[in-house]
Amino acid sequence: MSALTAARPQEPAIPSPAPARMTFILLAPGLLLLFGIFVLPLLGLGLESLRQYVPGRVGSAIDAPLTLENYRELATASFAGVLYETFKLSAAASLVGLLAAFPLAYCIVRRFSPRQRAACIGLLVMLVLLSMLVRTYALELAFGSVGIARPLLLALGISPTSRGYIEVLVGAGLLHAVMPICTLTLLGTIQNIDPRLCDAAQSLGAPAWKAHLGITVPLALPGLVSAFLIAMTFAISAFVIPMVLGKGRVLFLSNTIYTRFSDVANYPSGAAVSIAMLVISLVVLSLASLAHRRKGARS
Amino acid sequence: MNGTMKRLSDRILGGAMVAMLGLVLAFLVTPLLVTCLLAFDSRSFLGPLPPPALSLRWFEKLASLDYVATGLATSLKIAVLATAIDVLVGTTAAVALDRGDFRGRGLLMAAFLSPLIVPAVVIGLALLLFLSRIGVVDGFTRLLCGHVVITLPYVVRTVLASLAGRDRRLTEAALVLGATEREAFWTITLPLIRSGMVTGAVFAFAVSLDDVAVSMFLTDPSTYTLPVALVSSMRASFDLSIAAAAVLLMAVTAVLIIVLERFVGFDRLLGQGLFRS
Repeated sequence: MSALTAARPQEPAIPSPAPARMTFILLAPGLLLLFGIFVLPLLGLGLESLRQYVPGRVGSAIDAPLTLENYRELATASFAGVLYETFKLSAAASLVGLLAAFPLAYCIVRRFSPRQRAACIGLLVMLVLLSMLVRTYALELAFGSVGIARPLLLALGISPTSRGYIEVLVGAGLLHAVMPICTLTLLGTIQNIDPRLCDAAQSLGAPAWKAHLGITVPLALPGLVSAFLIAMTFAISAFVIPMVLGKGRVLFLSNTIYTRFSDVANYPSGAAVSIAMLVISLVVLSLASLAHRRKGARS
Repeated sequence: MNGTMKRLSDRILGGAMVAMLGLVLAFLVTPLLVTCLLAFDSRSFLGPLPPPALSLRWFEKLASLDYVATGLATSLKIAVLATAIDVLVGTTAAVALDRGDFRGRGLLMAAFLSPLIVPAVVIGLALLLFLSRIGVVDGFTRLLCGHVVITLPYVVRTVLASLAGRDRRLTEAALVLGATEREAFWTITLPLIRSGMVTGAVFAFAVSLDDVAVSMFLTDPSTYTLPVALVSSMRASFDLSIAAAAVLLMAVTAVLIIVLERFVGFDRLLGQGLFRS
């Protein structure tokens, strides 16, 4: 259930004056801020993505003619490769993250003592608050090409500089980021499942795995789907993780945008990639809210 | 299925579960422990664990790096300022959104939370283009704008959640007993939503202090944040003074966690709407 709508005790019937003018005055600073440094820049970005780019310039000219050229470039194989890489690693990390987060969340809610529960939730919140950069660097230090695990990797015959391993490393970075978020999201889902259903199945003779597979998992399915999509939206817009762990060998959409800005100053093209990325995020997110609404309808 | 088989399968499942949880926790924590250990390593190269002797040499080196001091100062200034703006503007907006059902309320709420769903890189590029078109080229102003945009939703969301979760009858009681609306707000509502404000502020501060994706676009040669400086040096060389910086940032997080636990408590934190699906 959404925390915004869940716990609203009976609405007061008092004739609260709530003059609309006051509400508007309170909203004004926020709206001004939102419009000035968020909505307008995004509209400007949309416009920039339609401007013609002359190589060698920094950005487009103010009166550059409008064109769809920048978007045509998105149909090339190299862009498709980046898109595929982004989605492949994001989906893999989100899926593994979900598989690991579900039992963890289940144990936190149903198995752990209050003290263990507090410790676990504390750890997870700490991980969420902990700098992404620190976590990425820590992974690089532990598993990176010159990291602590290097002798072990070489002994296993894995080259730490091979593209395959770097992909795994970026995936691990995403997983490290996504797992705590998934677990914390799933806590509520599992809390809402009646534990007696599972107990009943087991007392009627079902082994635990069958009871969970038949009862807990299906009941948690909508929550699982939305946790997966939340993880996906996070992963596909990740920037630091592929930049630090990918070392230029593995590029995400976000890194492409940055390169268009820093290396070639082709802002119109960067803007077009940005708009494409924005659309992709919105699609994944609307799937998430769809899953959420279906969950709401069922419970 | 007979009883012994069932018990056996239950035990296998239980064992597999414990093993998996151990693996998960190890994956989450080990890299951080390795970083902490290596930050105190006395060797000048990256050698196998454990370090033969501990020292503070990397912290000393970190302290001697000019770009770290500059970056840290900028980062802290931006994070504090952005958080202050967020709490002021975000709380006001959330209180307004909570006042009764007016038309377009849902839309406005979505609008205030929408910076969360736009990828940070997109916000960074958009702001850079926009601000340079209108003539803002000062790095500090640009960074502040970017950080306010990406952190404001946290405060709006947590304050909205605590407004929704509060007992409205307390305000009614105050009004019935003769308080004006203004008095009721300052003495009843504001203390009730304080935990939401603290949670929002802590998250806003942490996000601001960590941001790379937006800041990379908005820095100028003399104004950059600590994470941007660290990322550049991370790509340039492999130096354990970054591990020392990581330890310091972990300490900052620990302080934030203590603040959260003290003022909010982890149990209530989950009700603040940050981890809802």
